[in-house]
This record gives sequence, C-alpha cells and structure tokens, in this order.
Amino acid sequence: MTASRRSRWSSLLLAGLLEATAVHADGLADTRFRIQGFAAQTLISSTNNNFFGESRDAISTDFTEIGLQAFWLPVKSLQLSGQILYREAGEGDEEGLRLDYAQADWRFYQSDAAQFGIKLGKVKVPYGLYNETRDVPFTRPSILLPQAIYLDSSRSVLIAAPGAIFHASAIGAQGTLDFTLGWAQPDFDSEAVEYVFLGRNRPGALKDSSAFSSSLRWEAPTDTTLMLTYVDANADYEPGTPDTLGAGEIHFRNLLLSFQQRLDTVTLTAEYGQPRTDRSGFGPAFPDGGRDSITRYVQGEWRFHPEWEVVLRNEVNYRDKTDKTGRKLQAATGLPAHAMYSDDWVIGLRWDVTPNFMLRAEYHHVDGTSWVPGLDNPDIFATEQRWNMGLLQAAYRF
Amino acid sequence: MAEVIVNPSVSVNSISASSLRNIYTLRQTNWPGGQMIVVFVLPDNHPAHETFTKEKLGLYPYRLRQIWDRLSYSGMASAPIEVKDENELRARVRATPGAIGYITKDASKDTRHDGIKTLTLE
Repeated sequence: MTASRRSRWSSLLLAGLLEATAVHADGLADTRFRIQGFAAQTLISSTNNNFFGESRDAISTDFTEIGLQAFWLPVKSLQLSGQILYREAGEGDEEGLRLDYAQADWRFYQSDAAQFGIKLGKVKVPYGLYNETRDVPFTRPSILLPQAIYLDSSRSVLIAAPGAIFHASAIGAQGTLDFTLGWAQPDFDSEAVEYVFLGRNRPGALKDSSAFSSSLRWEAPTDTTLMLTYVDANADYEPGTPDTLGAGEIHFRNLLLSFQQRLDTVTLTAEYGQPRTDRSGFGPAFPDGGRDSITRYVQGEWRFHPEWEVVLRNEVNYRDKTDKTGRKLQAATGLPAHAMYSDDWVIGLRWDVTPNFMLRAEYHHVDGTSWVPGLDNPDIFATEQRWNMGLLQAAYRF
Repeated sequence: MAEVIVNPSVSVNSISASSLRNIYTLRQTNWPGGQMIVVFVLPDNHPAHETFTKEKLGLYPYRLRQIWDRLSYSGMASAPIEVKDENELRARVRATPGAIGYITKDASKDTRHDGIKTLTLE
C-alpha cells in the first residue's frame, strides 16, 4: 500500500473516531460506541545478533506500539469495529501509522444460545490463540509472542486482510464452540516477508495473493481451550528489472493445534504446527522445492499475586524437518547451519502496577537464528548461533 | 457477598450461574426476548469487583480482563463499561435499559426500592 493511500485511510478513520467521541456526551452513547487504546515502549538489548534495531551490545528503543480501537453498534445486528495502529519494530517494520483492521460484522442470527454472522472489510484473521490481538501488549503472555509460531517478520501475511469471514458460535452446557471460515487477500508485499519466503529482499514483489482460513475453537467447562486453525495461502511473484528470478509462486499451508488449560492461578499453553512452504516457477536461480517446518512451544504462566505474573516458555522451530541441524543447507549453499533452527528459553515477569499501567521484563536464551530478523542482520554470515536477549516494556491502556 | 442488579426493564427475575458467566464473558449479548444486554463493571482492583468475579463467576479479575481484551480488540464484542464506584454503577444501571451490574451486600441495603431490580441466583 502506498503512503498516500495509507494516510488517507488513517485520517478518514481518525475523523470518524473523533466525530463519534463527540456524540459520547449524552450518557447512553457509550453503550453503543466504545473506544479503547494502548501505548507501549520496549527496550531491547542482545548479544551477537540484532533484534528489532541495533540491539547487539547496545540498547534498541526501536519497538513502539500505539493503538486506538473503536467499536460501534449502529443497530443490533451490525457491529462495526476497527483499529489504527502505530508500530515501529526495527528495520522490518518502519511503516509507522497504519489502518490495522476495519470490519463490518453482520450478525444475521442471534439468540441466547447461538450466533451466526459474516465479517467483511479488512478483517482480523483467526490464527492460533494470540494472532487477532497480537499488537495489544496486555493480551500477550510475554513482551514478544512465541516467534516459532507468531513470526514477527511475516506478521503482515496473517494479521488482517481484505476479505470475508463467516463465523458461528454455540453456547451451551458443553462450553462454547466457535467456528470460522474465510477468504482473504493477505499482504505479502514487504521486504520482511520476502526475507522469510524468498531468502532476501528481491527486486520484484509478491502479489496476487489469496488465502483460505478456517478455525474451530472449543472453550470447555473444565477451563480448557482447544483450537484448530487451518490456513492455505499463496502469492505470485512479479519479477523486477533486472531480476534473477522468474515469475514464480509461493504456497504456504499450516494446520495449527492450540491447547490451553487454566488451573486456579496457573495457565498452561502449548501450540504446535508443521507449516509447509512450496515454491515453483522461479527458474534455475531459485529451484522448485518445498519443505515442512516444525514449530512448537510450551508455556506456563503463574499469577502468584493479583498484580504479578511469571512466565516460563520453551519454543522450538525447525525450518526444514529433514534438515533440523542445518548441515544440509550449509553443505549445499555455505550458509550458516544455525539459520535453520531455533531453541529459545524465555523467562518473564509482569507487574500490573495499576489496572491501566503494566511493566514487564523478560530474558531469552536462544540457540539458533531461524527467526532472527533478516533486515536487522543484513549480513547472514555475521549472525551467531548462540545469543541472549533482554527486554523491558512499559505499557499503558485507556 | 455480591448481588446482581439489573435495570427494571429487564424481563427476568432470576439468573443461572452459567448465564451470568456467559454475560460477563461477553458470550451472551441478549436477554431472553431479545433485549440487548449492557454490561457494567467496576475497576479490576475494586474490592467489590474481586468479590463478584471470584464468588459469582469463579474467575479472577485478570482472567476476565484477558477474555474481554481478546474479544473486544478483535472486534468480536464490545468491552464492558467500566465505572469508578458502586454509586456510579447503581446510577448507570438505573438509567440504562437492559443494564446489568453488581454491588456488595452492604451497598445494596436500600436498592430494592429505588429503580433497580435485584436478581436471585438459580
């Protein structure tokens, strides 16, 4: 999206929000119109590799998130919602202000036991437990989401996209069941996404994308959440001039399994997926091929005091399950083997100083560089296998 | 002890524990008969809120907040309306058709007669 189109969208939305805020005064308006938001700043310091800016042996301040979200119920069967987001995250996200999503949800059937609806617009794509609210710091279990599953470099592909999603919910003695089925046109057109799917920033662009997604989420009365998400997306490559790549195609699909069990003040969470990526038609410089990755994490959160929470997580990612150690890649291309995997141990602490203000600290001990952002580390031979990272975050909500 | 209060326009006189939980987790958005539910709450660290969520919903305030954040920030539901204290909560429930809220027993002594209905729990 071009800068001018983006700012036009943002200013339209902002104008709408301000107008609606003015209507707020009559005392009943807030039952149909709500506005909320957040602002967060994170400091990052790391050894050996950069993450979100120049963090190696230094302190990067290059991770800022500010959001303004609005919800409007003009009539009972129509819910309008949207969010404008300001986000900077290292070299991979310098877009600043953008329209995150803007959707109209027509709920054509509603009773006290079931709801059916269809969302149209730039819709939030369901993907695992955290994707739909991934930019809201208060909803994340840690400062950074598990990169093995919620890779920030390719976030634009799955965050929200122009499309339509049908959704159905049933509420009963067996808990609640949510089903979605949707089609969208995700955004593959960014340097960070090219690093993930094409190895580096290429002269051309990934366009004409299409994605199918479906999810099933069950909230059982035992305080258990089980969720299945399926995503099948593809994009065509439009070569630049000159370009060593031909007009190829990228195809990504994944079945993601999510589990969460809540036990008093402890929350146990795990997610697992084997995403498959295929490429074809790029020509001899980037031969046809495909690979199955493995992504998983296991996480425990303990709210040991009403205002304090500790989180411990292990997340693992193999970019090719037939080359877990990366030795085949190294032998074939000379690239560092550690680019093919990551094993990250994370410990974090959260303090809700007030209901509106949160402080967080976390530490990562990582073996491997599979999710180290390419744009923050342009020389792949300078990346190192073992690295550590510490983060501090302050977040405010209203 | 926390008591559940509603606007007198609400047609029910009693509520089940599961229905109350579905309303406060934003899953049930209409009263039987179709009237829209408007949910009022106190701040997360207000003692009456803590009593209500633990006693009547079986949830800690922070868990309820996680549920609200997930549904509201994804645009699936409107977050509850937060008011600063029990007096304001009572006034808003009285003034808003379809409203639901809660107050602690101490604060509820005189409410039966001033335009607020107390629901019995099934």
